[in-house]
Parts: sequence; C-alpha cells; structure tokens
Amino acid sequence: MKILIIEDEKALSESIVAYLKGEEYTCEVALNFSTALEKTELFDYDCILLDITLPGGNGLSVLKELKKNNKNDGVLIISAKNALGDKITGLNLGADDYLSKPFHLSELSARIAAIIRRKQFGGSSMIRFNDISIDTQAKTAEAKNKPLDLTKKEFELLLYFMTNKKKVISKTAIAEHLWGDDMEGNLDFIYTHIKNLRKKLAETGNPDYIKSVYGMGYKFTD
Amino acid sequence: MKLLTKFNRANIIATVIVLLAGALCYYFILHYVLVKQLDSDLNGEMQEVKNFIKVNNSLPDTSVYKEAEIISEPFPSKDKARLTTKEMFDKKENEWITVRQLIFPENISGKYYRITISKSEQETEDLIQFIITGTLSLVLLLFLCLFIINRFVLNKLWHPFNNTLQELKKFNPGSGYTLQLNDNNIAEFKELNNAVMEMSRTVERDYQALKSFTENASHEIQTPLAVINSEADLLMQSENLTELQMNNIQAIQIETVRLSKLNQSLLLLTKIDNRQFIETEPLDISKIIKKLLVHYEELIAAKEIQLKENADKPVIILMNETMAGVLISNLITNAIKHNPGKGFIEIVLSENKLIIRNTGPVLTAQPHEMFERFKKENLSSESLGLGLSIVKKICDLYHFRIEYGYARQIHILTVQFK
Repeated sequence: MKILIIEDEKALSESIVAYLKGEEYTCEVALNFSTALEKTELFDYDCILLDITLPGGNGLSVLKELKKNNKNDGVLIISAKNALGDKITGLNLGADDYLSKPFHLSELSARIAAIIRRKQFGGSSMIRFNDISIDTQAKTAEAKNKPLDLTKKEFELLLYFMTNKKKVISKTAIAEHLWGDDMEGNLDFIYTHIKNLRKKLAETGNPDYIKSVYGMGYKFTD
Repeated sequence: MKLLTKFNRANIIATVIVLLAGALCYYFILHYVLVKQLDSDLNGEMQEVKNFIKVNNSLPDTSVYKEAEIISEPFPSKDKARLTTKEMFDKKENEWITVRQLIFPENISGKYYRITISKSEQETEDLIQFIITGTLSLVLLLFLCLFIINRFVLNKLWHPFNNTLQELKKFNPGSGYTLQLNDNNIAEFKELNNAVMEMSRTVERDYQALKSFTENASHEIQTPLAVINSEADLLMQSENLTELQMNNIQAIQIETVRLSKLNQSLLLLTKIDNRQFIETEPLDISKIIKKLLVHYEELIAAKEIQLKENADKPVIILMNETMAGVLISNLITNAIKHNPGKGFIEIVLSENKLIIRNTGPVLTAQPHEMFERFKKENLSSESLGLGLSIVKKICDLYHFRIEYGYARQIHILTVQFK
C-alpha cells in the first residue's frame, strides 16, 4: 500500500511515517505544494494525506487537480483549520475524509485503513487477526468461526484495535474515537467496554489479546 | 422623538411666540397712534368750540356735532384742559364703550364752564380685534403649511437618509453583503453615503483580517500540538518503558489534548462573537437532547447517575444547528462532569424553557459568576472553565435568558427561550 503524506510540518510527517511503517504501508512525503503536485501527477497512491495550508499553495488545489485528472487516489484531509467551511469544501471536492489536528496516530491509521478498504475492495473488506475476523461492510465479527455478539461500541473498539494491532493506543485516543472529542475528565468508563469485549472474546476461546499498558492505554497483540 | 417632530416643535413654538409678540407690539403701537389721532381730533373740536364761543359768546348747540358729544356744565373754578379715557354706558347701543374725553374750562360772559368733548374709541377696538383675528388665522395657516410640508415634502427629502439607514441595518460584517446606497443630489446625504460606504469597507476589511488572524493563530497553535501529540503516540510504542515514563507520556498527551480543546473553545467563542454562525433553521430541541443523551449514555452510566428526562414534546426553536448542538451538549456535559457520582440529572423541556437540575459539589462562588470565562469551582478539575461561558454567549446571541441557581447541593440551570 502506497501512501503520500503531504504535510509541511517535517516533524509531524516524520512521526506519521514512523507510525505507519509498521503497518505494511510504503510512505512518501511531500513537504510543499509543488512537490505534492508533481508526485500526485506522476504516481498513484492508495491514500493521500493532505494538509490544506501548504507553503506555495492551498492543499485543496492538489485535490482539484487530482479530480481533474480522474485520479482515484483516496484522500484524507488533515487540517489544523477546524473550520466547517474547509471541511465541507474538501468533502465536496471529493476528499474521502477529514481529520482535524491534533490527532492521534492511531486515529489517523484507522481512518487511512477505512479509506483504503472502501477504495480497494469496493467496501466488502474482511479484516483478520489470528482467529478473529471482521466484516466491515456487514459490521459483524467472528472468532473461531463463531459469531461474536458485540454492541456497536464494542464492534468499533475491536475494529479500532485491529487496525492498530501491536500498537499502544492511549485511553484518550480510544475515547475520542468512540465518543468524539467532547469527552473530558475521567475516562474510566472505557474500561467497562474493554472488559466486556475481553469477556466476549474469551467466551469464544481466544487468548486475551487486549493488553493493558500501565498508565497509558491498551495494546492489541498476541 | 423624531428629528422632524423636534424640529417642528421648535419651529412652531418660535413662530407662535414671534407672531404673538408681534401682534402685541402691533396692538400697542396701533393703539398709541390711533389714540394720538383721536386726541388731535378732539383738539380740533376744542378749537372749533372755542372759536364758536369767541364769536357768539354762547355755548354751541351740541347736536351740531355728529362725531363727538359735547357736554357743558357750570364750574366754580378755573381748571386746566386734560385728556382722559373713560368707560361709559351707551344707552343707544346698550353696551359699555370706551371713550376718549377732552375736558377744558371756558369763560362765557364771566361765568366759568367746564366743557367735555367725548369721542368713542370703538373704531380703535374694532381695528385691534381685526388684527388679533388676522394673527390667529396666520398661526393656523402656518400650522397647516408645516403639516403639508412635513407630510409631502420633508418625508421625501429624508428618503435618501432612511434608505441609507435601512441598508446599514442590513449590514453584517462577514456576510458579504454590499450596501446598496441610492444616488442622490443632496450634498449632505451624498457625504453621508460616502462616509458610510468607506466605513463599511473598513469594517469588512478589518473583520476579515481579524477573522483570518484568529484562524491563523489557532492553526499555528494546533500544528505544534499535533506534533507533540504524535511524538507522544510514537514514544508510547517504545519497548521497555518504565512505569514513570509511561505516566509522563500519558500526562503529556492529556495536557496536549486539553490545550487543543482550550484553543478550539476560545476559537469558538471568537467565532460566536464574530457572528459566524448566522444561518438559522427551525430545530427540534427535544430531538437534539435525545440524540446527545444517547451519545453520553456510557458517561452517565459510568458515574452511576440517575437520569430523569422529560423532553418528549417537540420544541421548535429557530437557531443555528451547530450552536444548538454546542449549547445542549455543553449543558449536559456540565451536568455530568460536576456530578459527584451516584447523583441525579433531571432534564425538563417545556415549550419555552429548558431546565437542567443536577447534584453537584457545594457552590462557593456566586451563581452569576459561573458564566465568566475560566471560572472554575475546582481548580484541579480537568474542565476548561469555558463551557458555561460558551453557553452564556450562545444564549446572548439568541436573546435566551439563562439563570444559574444553587440550593442544597443541587444545581439548576434554566434556559428561557424568548
């Protein structure tokens, strides 16, 4: 999977690359507008991360250019401008998703995975981890060929874990993913959902993949 | 008071005063002149009478004089000639009349007589009456003229001004509306329109500059925050972290998120101040409440809060969708956040009122201070202290009345829609 990161903030693009590398992605970086235009014109990417404010031009122009050339690359806008106008314009121009800064890398990774699933496999993608499989289209999950009876939140939680496997995900990232960014204060309620998910996975005979990482969050790994 | 009314009032008062004063002066001058005239007439009569006496050595026949009345009576001593004004009863006309009299002594054959010549002032009185009637008619005519001028001329004259005023009312920086000022050939209004046009351009330009500044500032702050956050995310993936290091990373992330939310809240406040949420639509508050309660279900359950909700009837309010969402969610999260756990939240929505009651810690501040920015009951709390000031700002925007009450560890927030 090829990913292009169009982001002028070097430190941010580097950490995105570092995080995504472990997930079978090949990453390229464009730090300014002209490089971005050049790369998008010459190559095809599975997903393009697009910052709107770039030195030398507006990221939305890159998007327009892509659509003009009938390119089918998935586009995820990452912008610090949490302006509704930008978001609507971006999505109207054909972007697949919009993520405002600052974001958690685990959230970014999950969004990229979702875009690629939609683009690559026409939306009928299965995600597997050992004996667990998720049908993102039908929103169902199976473990050892037995259906898992999950609530909506538990399903999303499992999907989030599986798109960020072997990564430590912080509690704030989980809370933001499941409830949006207006969750302040105590995040202990997440634990209830983790506990229930663990129980349901254990019932189907799976080992406990959800490891607590003290003080920080959780890690989905074997 | 309208400018026109004020101007008319001054105009009318001044005119009436001048006219009345003029009439009064006119009266006195005329009276003086007429009396002078009368006096000289009387003197003429006196001369005639004296001549008659000199020639005939007897009193004239009083009936000869039509205009004047002459009375002679014997008088013991010599008196000086004098003029007086006197009220007399006229038997013929059966009314009191004012007369001017010239009284003078005369010696006829060694005997002294006092002769009085009287002339009626009636004509003078008539003249004065005529003057007063004339003045009053003039005042009435003036009122009529002013009325007509106001009604038909001045309103038309002020039309360009009213047009400019109406356009100014429509002006809203950021809406992209350009003032439609009519051309006119009156210098003052032309100047006004030019000034207004110039000002609206400046306001619009400054507004856009301020808007892009706040957005850029927020953008500039969000970017380093994004870097810090993602670096912490990466650091988190390192193997062999000590417990202390993990705590440190977690703390960095929590504070980064808080700073970012703070930044976004301030930006939201600025946007509300700048009236950037101007489009309104009829929204069902009941639906918004229900949707948000589902969203916060887990949060409420985790704190073992008992939820009593009475918001089934649709309540339609005309407001901006984003603002409605922010308002209701801030009120609900506020009630959840400050709930000590195992307490209750009661939400009652009626046609024009939303009441949220919840258990909470003892309130030490004054209830009205709760809407101030960064006013926090608990300094160590993770809340930003901006939630209620955003609520207040939104309520102000839509002229909703909001009240904060506290009694026996129960906090009551009431929003009165119009």
